[in-house]
Amino acid sequence: MSCRDAMRKLQKIDFSIVETVLYLDAYPHCRQALNHYHALIEEQKRLKESMQKAGCAPVCATENMSQTEWQWTDGPWPWHPEAN
Amino acid sequence: MWIYEKKLQFPVKIKNPNPRLASAIISQLGGPDGEMGASMRYLHQRYSCPYDKVTGILTDVGTEELAHLEMVAAILYQLTRNLTPEEIENSPFAAYFVDHTTGVYPVAASGVPFDMKYVGVKGDILTDLNEDLAADAAIP
Repeated sequence: MSCRDAMRKLQKIDFSIVETVLYLDAYPHCRQALNHYHALIEEQKRLKESMQKAGCAPVCATENMSQTEWQWTDGPWPWHPEAN
Repeated sequence: MWIYEKKLQFPVKIKNPNPRLASAIISQLGGPDGEMGASMRYLHQRYSCPYDKVTGILTDVGTEELAHLEMVAAILYQLTRNLTPEEIENSPFAAYFVDHTTGVYPVAASGVPFDMKYVGVKGDILTDLNEDLAADAAIP
């Protein structure tokens, strides 16, 4: 999977997570939603690990994996067409 | 506090610049019913909220609105790249251009800059939630 494809997949998973979080905020006792939340978090974790291993650009400032280069500020930024 | 993730919540890829469209869409950024208002409304109402779960919703929705703010800004950024002087002068975007060139500035289509007057924060959760219903156009 290319970094571009992985980023697309991450956007999809993160969107699902946001929706699940909002649902749980309103229905905190819904066990089904909580299980779904954990499944999504697990999938996100695995995807982020593979993105970091593949040398894709960091998504958070705390995920700059390189010990020799500061890549966090590298372009493109999310509003630039090349990032989409 | 906030962590920033370097990705849009949903991709934005505009094929053709369009300053006329930008001069209308700008209201979704800085107008009375835009994302600046939405994010500032929810994020400020949460401080006086007496119920943890409601505070959770206000926090999480407010944060998501900031992500929407970013997407609308991305749309405006892409709509206003590589414009010729004629394209600018012959569109309603000309007025905005005078003060902001092709920067992205929260303002309404009318030219009024974003104003917290669009937002109600009254310190009473029922009042504030009613403000939210009205703002979301959930009250018919």
